[in-house]
Amino acid sequence: MLNMETRKHILEIHNLEIGYHISKRIHNSLVSNINLTASEGELIAVIGKNGVGKSTLLRNIAGLQNSIQGDILLNKKNIIGYSRADFARLVSFVSTEIVNINNLRVFDLVALGRFPHTNWFGKLETKDLKSVSKALEMVGMKSFVNKNINEISDGERQRVMIARTLAQDTPVIVLDEPTAFLDLPNKYEIVHLLNNLSKTENKTIIFSTHDLNIAIQETDKIWLMLNDSIIEGAPEDLILNETFNQIFDNSKLSFDRVKGDFRMKRKYTEKIGLFGEGIYYTWTKKALERMNFTVEKGNDSIEHVVVEQNNEIVIWKLIDTNEILEFNSIYNLSNHLKNGRNP
Amino acid sequence: MKSNFKTFLVWAFLIIILFTLFVFDIFLGSVKIPFREIFHILFTGKSEYSEYSAIVLYFRIPKALTALFAGFALSVSGLQMQTIFKNPLAGPYVLGISAGASLGVAILVLGVSSFTVINQFGVIGNWLIVIAAWIGSGLILFLILAISVRVKDIMTILILGIMFGSATTSIVSILQYFSSESMLKAFVIWTMGSLGGVSKSQLFVLIPSVSIGLIMAFLSVKMLNAMLVGENYAKSMGLNIKLSRFFVFFSTSLLAGSITAFCGPIGFIGIAVPHIARMIFKTANHKILLPGTMLIGGSVLLFSDMISQLPGKESSLPINSITALVGIPIVIWIIIRKQKFSTM
Repeated sequence: MLNMETRKHILEIHNLEIGYHISKRIHNSLVSNINLTASEGELIAVIGKNGVGKSTLLRNIAGLQNSIQGDILLNKKNIIGYSRADFARLVSFVSTEIVNINNLRVFDLVALGRFPHTNWFGKLETKDLKSVSKALEMVGMKSFVNKNINEISDGERQRVMIARTLAQDTPVIVLDEPTAFLDLPNKYEIVHLLNNLSKTENKTIIFSTHDLNIAIQETDKIWLMLNDSIIEGAPEDLILNETFNQIFDNSKLSFDRVKGDFRMKRKYTEKIGLFGEGIYYTWTKKALERMNFTVEKGNDSIEHVVVEQNNEIVIWKLIDTNEILEFNSIYNLSNHLKNGRNP
Repeated sequence: MKSNFKTFLVWAFLIIILFTLFVFDIFLGSVKIPFREIFHILFTGKSEYSEYSAIVLYFRIPKALTALFAGFALSVSGLQMQTIFKNPLAGPYVLGISAGASLGVAILVLGVSSFTVINQFGVIGNWLIVIAAWIGSGLILFLILAISVRVKDIMTILILGIMFGSATTSIVSILQYFSSESMLKAFVIWTMGSLGGVSKSQLFVLIPSVSIGLIMAFLSVKMLNAMLVGENYAKSMGLNIKLSRFFVFFSTSLLAGSITAFCGPIGFIGIAVPHIARMIFKTANHKILLPGTMLIGGSVLLFSDMISQLPGKESSLPINSITALVGIPIVIWIIIRKQKFSTM
C-alpha cells in the first residue's frame, strides 16, 4: 500500500484560477485548475518561466490579490474568511520591490513586522523588542540593528526583509524571488537560511526562484508551473520523471538529469578523440563540447587531443594523421580549432 | 543611554527654541512694548497701559498663535503627503487643497461682489472669505476622498490631485481676467498669505480644527510607518490601505484646509520642514518625525513671521514670500549636501 500523506497540510489550494482583473466581469486568466498543498516546516520553491504566473500565485496566497475562482485554504479555512489583522498573523510576505528608504534603520524596518501585534500607536512592548532581536539573530544580522537600510548590501537587506517576516511571527512566509538581485554565494546562503528556518522554526516557506539548481539542493518540494498546469513534488521526483524538461518547451535548453541543471541543446557535428585524466579531462571535454564536437574518450583513430601533465606543466596536444600541435592552454587550443584550421 | 540623553537634549532644545520664538514674536511689532510689560500681560492679562494690553491680547498673541498652529499644521500635513505619495517634493497642497480654497475666495472676491463691499461688513467680511476658502478646499477634499476609495493606484490620485489643482487655477485666472483692478489687488493680497488677519474669535475655530487634524495625524503614525515600505508590504502586515488613505487625507485636508482658509496659501513650510526633521533626527520613524516636524514647523513659521516684521513700520512683508525665502535655502542646502532629496 502506498503511504500518501503523513504531515498536516497548513495550506491547501483547490481548483484555483488566477489572473488579472481587468474589470469587475472581465478577467485575464493566467493559470487555472491549480491544486497544491503545503505542510508545516516545508520549504517550497515555485519554478516556472517568466510570465507563467509565479508572482500572481504568490500574491494570491499572500492575500494581496483575489483569485478568479477556486479556494485557498489556510488551516482548513478559506483565506477570504479571515480578517485583515488575523490573516497578517498567519501569512507574511516579501516582495520583489527593493525597499530603499533613507534614514530607515534596520531595527525600525524589522520592528514594522510587529505591526499586527502592536497597539494603535505601534508601541513596542518588551515581547515585541525580544521578537525583533530574536528575528535579527536568526538571520545573522544582529550587529546591523542600528544601520540604515540603504547602507547595507542587497544580500544583507534581503536577510533583514526575512527578519521582518520572522518578527511578524507567521506560520507561513511567502517570498517573491528573494534571490533575484543577489550574487551566487548570497543566493545559496539565502535559500539555505530559508531551509534552516523552515526546519528550526517549523515554518512553511514558499518562494519563487529561477535558480533551479539551488532549489533542487535545498527545498522539500517544488511547485512547477507549466503553461497549462502546475505539478508538485520533491525536486528529485521531478528530475526522475523528466518533468523539468517541460518548463522551457521548444527552447534550446534541455535538463541534464544526472547533473541536475539545464544546459544548451547542441548540434554535434564533428567527432574528436580525447585522452587525459581527472579534472583536466573534464574541462577539456566541456570546452570541446562547447565548440560542438562530439567527444569520444580514448579514440585515437580520428583527430584527437591528448592532455599531458608533467609536474606543474600541462600541455594539450592536438594530433591528427599529419602533424602534432602543442598548446599551453585550452584557450589557445580552442582558437586553433575554431580559426587556425580554416584560415 | 548616551544616545537617549542626546535625543533628550535635541527635544529640549527644540521646545526651548519654539517657546523663545513664540515670546519674541509677541515682542516684535510696529509698536515697541517693553519685555517686562509683555511678561506682565502674558501672566496677568493686564497692564498699566491699556493700549499695550490691547495690542498684545487682541493682535500679537492671536498672530503668534496663528503662526504656531499654521506651522504645526502645514509641516505635519506636508510630512503625511510625502509619506503617502512616497515623493520628497509632495507638500500639503499636492491634493489641490490650496487651489480649491483660492477658487472659493476668487468666486467670492472677484465674482460675487467687489471686495470693498465685503470689507464694509468688517468681521463678517473676513468670515465670508474664510467660509468661501473652506468650501473651496472642502469640495476638492470631497473629490479626492471619493477617488481614494475607488482608485487603487496612488500615482493616479496624485495626478488627479494635480489636474484638479490646475483646473481650479485656470478658472481663477479667468475670473482674474474679468475683474477690476481693486478686486484683483484684494485677491492677490489674499494669495500672499497673512498671519495677522486672524481675529481672536476666529482662533476659536482655527485652533480646534487644527488640533483635531493633529490628533488624527498622531493616530495615523502606525499607518504612515507601514506605508513607508510600500503598499504591498503594508497590506501584507494587515493595514487597510484605502481606510488609512482616507484617514490621512482627511487629516491633511483639515490641517492644510483650515490654515489656507484663515491665512491664505502659505507655501514651502510643508515641503521643507519634514526634510529638516529627517536631517536632525536621522530617522524615518513617524513616532519621532511627526512631533519633530511639528515643533520645527512651528518654530520656522514663527521665525518667518518675525522676519516679516523687520521693516518695523505699519505694514509687514507678505508671509508667503518670507517662507519661500526661508525655505528655499534650506531645500537647496539639503540637495547640495546630500546630493539628493532624502526619500521617505
